[in-house]
Amino acid sequence: MLGLWSTGSRLPALASARLANRVSRVSQVRALASVSNASEPGVADPSAYCRDYVRTRDYESYLIGSFYPREYQSAFYALRAFYVELASVQDTVSNAMIGKMRMQFWRDAIKNIADGRPPQHPIALALHDASRRANLPAYHLRRIIDARDAELHTPAHLTMESLRAHAESTTSTFLYLLLSLLNLSSDSVSSHAASHLGVAQCIHVLLRALPYHASKGNMVIPAELTARHGVRQEDVFRKGGNADGISDAVFEFATVANDNLLTAREMFKQAGNGGGKVPRRAMPVFLYGLPTRDYLGRLESVDFDAFHPSLQLRDWKLPWKIWRGYYKGDF
Amino acid sequence: MSFARALVVAGPSARLAAGRVALPRSLALAYRWHSTAPRHQQHDPLVGNKPRDYLDPPVPPKSPSGLKTAAFTAADEPGKDYDPYKDGPSAIDKAVHLFFFTEIIRGMWLVLEQFFRPPYTIMYPFEKGPLSPRFRGEHALRRYPSGEERCIACKLCEAICPAQAITIESEARLDGSRRTTRYDIDMTKCIYCGFCQEACPVDAIVETQNQEFSTETREELLYNKEKLLANGDRAEAEIAANLHADHVYR
Repeated sequence: MLGLWSTGSRLPALASARLANRVSRVSQVRALASVSNASEPGVADPSAYCRDYVRTRDYESYLIGSFYPREYQSAFYALRAFYVELASVQDTVSNAMIGKMRMQFWRDAIKNIADGRPPQHPIALALHDASRRANLPAYHLRRIIDARDAELHTPAHLTMESLRAHAESTTSTFLYLLLSLLNLSSDSVSSHAASHLGVAQCIHVLLRALPYHASKGNMVIPAELTARHGVRQEDVFRKGGNADGISDAVFEFATVANDNLLTAREMFKQAGNGGGKVPRRAMPVFLYGLPTRDYLGRLESVDFDAFHPSLQLRDWKLPWKIWRGYYKGDF
Repeated sequence: MSFARALVVAGPSARLAAGRVALPRSLALAYRWHSTAPRHQQHDPLVGNKPRDYLDPPVPPKSPSGLKTAAFTAADEPGKDYDPYKDGPSAIDKAVHLFFFTEIIRGMWLVLEQFFRPPYTIMYPFEKGPLSPRFRGEHALRRYPSGEERCIACKLCEAICPAQAITIESEARLDGSRRTTRYDIDMTKCIYCGFCQEACPVDAIVETQNQEFSTETREELLYNKEKLLANGDRAEAEIAANLHADHVYR
């Protein structure tokens, strides 16, 4: 390190890249070291459990969570932990029956939270706490559960339309929940933009996980798109990014995500109030557009090879991009 | 099937042929085995092994009989009807010998390679082989870092257990939370399918990587809640590391 600094202004590009790499690695190590800070997470402190859960399972949301008003942060982490818990059910169960049992547990939990008797599950306790602070419509929560339940039986989509409907009832519904957390659910521009952003975000997550799903023998790109480019599913599972036509299908899939992202941004521009910017109060919800835009940009730079190893790495510039996006009021 | 038949035919005759080889002919035989020149060049019946007499005209070509003009086949050509394997081992016999020999060399080379490699065996009770993070062994009940039990007596594990090895009794505590008063697993019934772990909404019941829990009596394999919680306390760091995940995939 000392030798590096002594080169002064003639810091070579390679060395600076290495330095940046080391800094990001140090910050990761530090993040790992602070697993159990303050009070111990568990049923005694559900919000700490949820924050910890989101940090290990969904780091982007963990970054976004710190831009929420302080009184809503624990509610945000509770909602996101709930979403992550439901989304990861189908990766932990070996048959649909067990998954349905867990979905039923959450359906009962939502009902009992509404009655004021939450089960002793940290996420359910945190949701109960959140639903007392803000008006969180239970039908949004139920809609996410139902969509995940249906996904247990049909993990693959035949048409783009059915995937859009699924995204609408998972990621978009989650964004509606965040809007109602911030008392913005009556804002039609935000709701409409959240609907489009949810579709873009859903496609982003599916594309990022394409190598994972391919290793499990699932095809996440709708059959309509793969058939149009003559992609054979078995080829994708065996050869990954070298399969015929997969990059064309990925391109078309990513284009849908990009179109939805651009539509969501245009809506705020056309609404015109506040100079075409996203209102500061709604901005934390739309910060989800930044990881999506970042991922799509990186996908484009590797020529739509969704299996490229660089796409599996966490982008170390993402915290900076989210911070700048929040203050610029754009996503 | 055709390969098998060829071997069956070649097998005994190969041995016979090897026995028939006389000592003075062995050099010529070795030359013939490894030479690639056509056989009839070396053993032309029309010329024989004696030096060729260039003064004599060669055998005059057969004049075609009146009936067969321009109807010659290869068999009608002089010298082509000669069987080069007439009094020696057949081509299959020689191939069998050659490939058998290289087979032996290759097998011995493999033995030699293994001789210089470290052994695959491990000293089992002292050394352990690698286990998958998903290995399903002895059960454990987990706690939160605060020390509170995770289990909320939802009885999903009891319901899903295909061997009906789990028995749960529960009651509500004074603070209103439901907890188990009894959580028994009959390890002699358990089939280690891992469904209990998958069904648990709070990740309370898990299967640890411990596979060495043999006992002297059957009663010791009827685990109760204390035993399961003790298992969990012992293996918590390991369990947490195995459950670690980094991405939302959906």
